[in-house]
Parts: sequence; C-alpha cells; structure tokens
Amino acid sequence: MSKLLTVRDLVVEIPARNIKILDGISFSLEAGQTLGLVGESGCGKSMTCYAVANMLPRGIARTGGSVTFEPGGPGTGKPAVPKVAMIFQDPTSSLNPVHTIGYYLESALYRHQGLKGRDARMEAMRLLERVGIDRARSRLRAYPHQLSGGMNQRVMIAHALAARPQLLIADEPTTALDVTMQAQILHLLEELKAETGMSLMIVSHDLGVIARLADKAAVMYCGKIVETAPVAELLDRPAHPYALALIDCMPSIDPEDLEPPAAIPGSVPLLDSLPAGCHFHPRCSRASGECLARFPEPANIGFVHEASCYHPMVS
Amino acid sequence: MTAFILARLMRAVAVLVFTVTLVFIVLRLTGDPAQQMLSDNAGPEALAAFNAKWGLDRSILEQYLYYVANVLRGDFGISFADGREVFTVVSERIPKTLIVTVSAFIVSILIGIPAGILAAMRRESAVDKGVMAAAVVGYSVPNFLLGLVFIFVFAVWLRVLPSSGSSTWSHAVLPIATFALFNAAAVARFMRSTLIDVLGQPYIAAARADGIPPWEIILRHALPNAAIPMVTTLGFVAGGLLGGSALIEPVFAWPGLGSGFVNATNTGDLPVVQAMIVLFTVFMVAINLTVDVLYAVLNPKIRKH
Repeated sequence: MSKLLTVRDLVVEIPARNIKILDGISFSLEAGQTLGLVGESGCGKSMTCYAVANMLPRGIARTGGSVTFEPGGPGTGKPAVPKVAMIFQDPTSSLNPVHTIGYYLESALYRHQGLKGRDARMEAMRLLERVGIDRARSRLRAYPHQLSGGMNQRVMIAHALAARPQLLIADEPTTALDVTMQAQILHLLEELKAETGMSLMIVSHDLGVIARLADKAAVMYCGKIVETAPVAELLDRPAHPYALALIDCMPSIDPEDLEPPAAIPGSVPLLDSLPAGCHFHPRCSRASGECLARFPEPANIGFVHEASCYHPMVS
Repeated sequence: MTAFILARLMRAVAVLVFTVTLVFIVLRLTGDPAQQMLSDNAGPEALAAFNAKWGLDRSILEQYLYYVANVLRGDFGISFADGREVFTVVSERIPKTLIVTVSAFIVSILIGIPAGILAAMRRESAVDKGVMAAAVVGYSVPNFLLGLVFIFVFAVWLRVLPSSGSSTWSHAVLPIATFALFNAAAVARFMRSTLIDVLGQPYIAAARADGIPPWEIILRHALPNAAIPMVTTLGFVAGGLLGGSALIEPVFAWPGLGSGFVNATNTGDLPVVQAMIVLFTVFMVAINLTVDVLYAVLNPKIRKH
C-alpha cells in the first residue's frame, strides 16, 4: 500500500490564550486504510481532523509540525493535491437550511467535477441512489428540514463523494443518529470505502464504531496520542491504562455478564490546567513518581503498536 | 403559502379593528376636548354648545358606532381646529412623511447593510471597530438632538442647507440625513451580529471544508440565512421611522404626519388625532404583513410547512 498522509509533531494552539489543543500529534495513513480516533470529549479528536482538512476554526492555529499528503501528480494517475472531504456529527445543522438538497449536490458537482445542468442533476440523482436514498428525483427539491437525520447524513456522504476524495474524514458520523440508522451509515461507509479505495479517518467516542470500521486506532487524551495499534490488537491487548479504561467502559450485551461497565474516575482536565508529566496520572491507578515528572515518550509495545506509558499493561 | 398569507391578512384586519376601538375609547376617557379647544374663561353654555355640536354629549358607545359607520364610508369627520375635512387635513401630509421616511429607510439600508457585512467579515479588525464605534455613536445620540446638531452645522454655521420648511428638495436633506444615520447605525449593528451568528453555524464550517471561496460563502450561504432575521429587524426600523417622524418633523418644521400629530394632540383636535393614529396603525399593520410575507418567501421552513 502507498502512503497517503503523514502527520508529524502537529501542534495546534489558541495563540491568544497560549493554550495547546494538540501537542505533538504524529500518525500516518496508507491509501485505502481506515484510522479511528478514540477518546473522551475534549481530547482533540475533532481538532486533529480540522487540522488535517486545513479548516481550523478562527482563533485556532497550527503552530508546529506538518501535515503532508503524498503528492500524486503526473504518472501516478492521481491528482497533484489529494482531495479531502469531511462529514460531521450533526448532519441536519451541517446542511444549509435555505438550500435544497439538489442545489447542495449540484453546486458541489460543478465545483469538483465541472458538471452543469442536466449532467449535474443526473449525477446528483445517481449519488443519492448510491447512498441509499429512494425517490431521488423528488428529494433533490427537498430542504434539509424535510428529511430525517439519517437521510441528511446520507446526503452529506453523497456530497462528500461528489468531491471524489482520497480521504474522507468522518467526525462522529453516527453520534446523533439512532442505533439502526447508525448501523446502516457504518455499512454504507464500509461499502463506499471498498468501492472507491479512499482512505477514511473516523472519529468516535464509541469503540464499537472504531472496531467495526477502522484498521488501526489512535487513542487520544488531552491533545496527545497515547496509544496506536491495529484495532484488533488494541481491543485485545491495550497497553495504556487509559485505553484499557475506555474498553472497560463499553457496556456488554452478554446476558451472563452482570457487571456494570466500569467508569473512569475523575474527568478530562481542562486544557489550561493540565497536570504535569503524564496528563492521565491523576486518574490512573498505576501512576508513580515518574509519571508526575515527565510525559512518557511513545515506546514500541509490539508490531506497529506504540504506547506512551511508563507502566504499560503488557507483560 | 396562500393559506399562510390569508391567515396573516385576517390577523391584520383584527388588529386594525381592535386598535381603532381602543384608541377611540382611550381618547374619549382622557381629557375634555371642549376645555382644550375653547379658551379658559369659556362659560358652561359655550362648553355644552361645543359638546352638542360635535356629538360629544352622547354616550361613548353611541359615538363609537356613529364614528365606525362614518369611517367605513371614508368620512373621518371635521377637524375641530380649522373646520376642514379630516381626510383632507391628514392626506395632504402623507406624501411629505413618506418622502422623508422612505428615503431615510433606503439610505439606512444602503449604508447599514454593507457596513454590517464588512464588519462581520473583518471581525475584530480596525474596519470592524471603526464601523461599530460609529454605529454606537449614531445609535446612542437621540435623533432629535442629531437633528439640532445638523441644523447648527449645515444651516447656521456652513449655511449650505435650509433648516426648516419643505418647499424644495434641499429642505428634505437634513430630515432624511438625521433619520438615515440613526437607523443606518441600528441596521449595521443588527446586520453584523446576525451575520456573525450565521457564520458560526455548522453549515458554514461545512461549506468552508468543501473549499467554497469566501465571497461565495457570504453571498450564497450566509446572507440568505441572515436575511431572515434581518427582515424582522428592518420591519422594526420601518415602524420606528414612522413613529420617529413625530420627533424629527417638528425639529425641521417639516409639515408631515409627525408634526401634524403633535399639533393636533396639543390643541386637542380629537378627530385629527384619531384619524392619524388609525393611519399609523394601518402603516404598522402593512409593514408587519410585509415582514410576515417576506419571512415566508425567505424561509423554506415556513414556506414548506
């Protein structure tokens, strides 16, 4: 597989208040691969996506590190600058309420593929049908408020596909949807990834979503990646106590398993008052003096499995 | 859509009937026109004769029914002050007021909307701070005071514009400028905050993520959404202009509805006051109806149930 994206030592800050939101994020993504970002709210998952898509909100800036896409260019059959498309947590508010679905898709098709008029309309209908929306012709005239959340997320996905992206970033794509819709959307994303060969970055606080879609996962805490591993490996043998704690939080549907899911004590610290050393130490049962002094460097735990912990849980 | 407009029309008529009734009753209960119109040493016979002449000695209900019946025939009665038809007295003032208010409305939109958009797009910049500082000054200075300042500067000091009257177009400049600057400030502030609010919505972030150029985001994605609350605000501004004419017109001795209303109130010219309030109500109801219809046109959530 060829590499698509390399992120190295990415630092993202609110310069006005001197707060680091992301502190030295590094990862890479192969073409066609899916990376899952997990962690509690406020740990920097979404901000990592915005930084990769180059759409950080105003007042927030990349102050260090690099985000590099492998150039395609002549001979590779790929465009010189790989296209990135993004879908969001709340599809209904991510669609402009005064525009029809048709306007939304057709203007994207014009922008990304130069399609106009009838061609654009036919392609928009084809995309809607592809993402599983029936009666596509009449849906083109509908406004977002006339469709359900799940349908709007399908529209968002169709819109993302109009850009023919090499990387699709999905920021909590199913969090606002009910469970059955969630499964359908995840299934759709899987299919589309296989069809188009695009890479996928998926953010979720739900390990189930990550386990289903991702090839590898990165666990984030307080603006740092604390563990990276292939998904199966991470679920089987988490090395960082935080990763283990996240896995233990997942409720089981096994009727024999009567134990309630374990909560992680305490809460995510605020970014302007991070504890020194390993940011997780106040909530960690294995913390020692070392952990209070210095943030642990990422260390190899196994094959493509790294964790930033002085006391990893692997024998 | 048709049902929506029809419902609003019915409501407008109901508001009108209610206002006419309320105004009639309140005006009859506050102050005795005979005492206001006649001199202080008028005897009881003179007062009684005045009341009998204008039908003021009958019961309020009787007067009201009589009044409504006449109004429906287009007869608003006779002015106590100069004995002319109220209809003539009032209608000759309408164009004067419309010239000032409509021009001021247009000018305040032409200044306020672009200024607000610019400030919102360049938020926290020198442009934004300059526009907003000017808007705060424009909005905080009472408009009749602004009018006096203008008279002092342009009529007394520079001697380039007349201070009062309405005989030429140059007479209209100062009243329009006074009105327009005050309202342009309000429009700019609302436009800025509305647009900033819209620009913070997820669909704008999504549009940016899609690589849509900034000017297209403003024109195609942000402004159509900002227009919805702006229409409501502009409705208030239009209503404020009409109400404000009672403050501004006397300053410039502009013979419109505003100064006419002030005169009629001072002299207790009940039929004129009453007709003017009804007319103001008609204007307000018309403005609100326009706002409602535009709202439906601009907002697909209302248009498509």
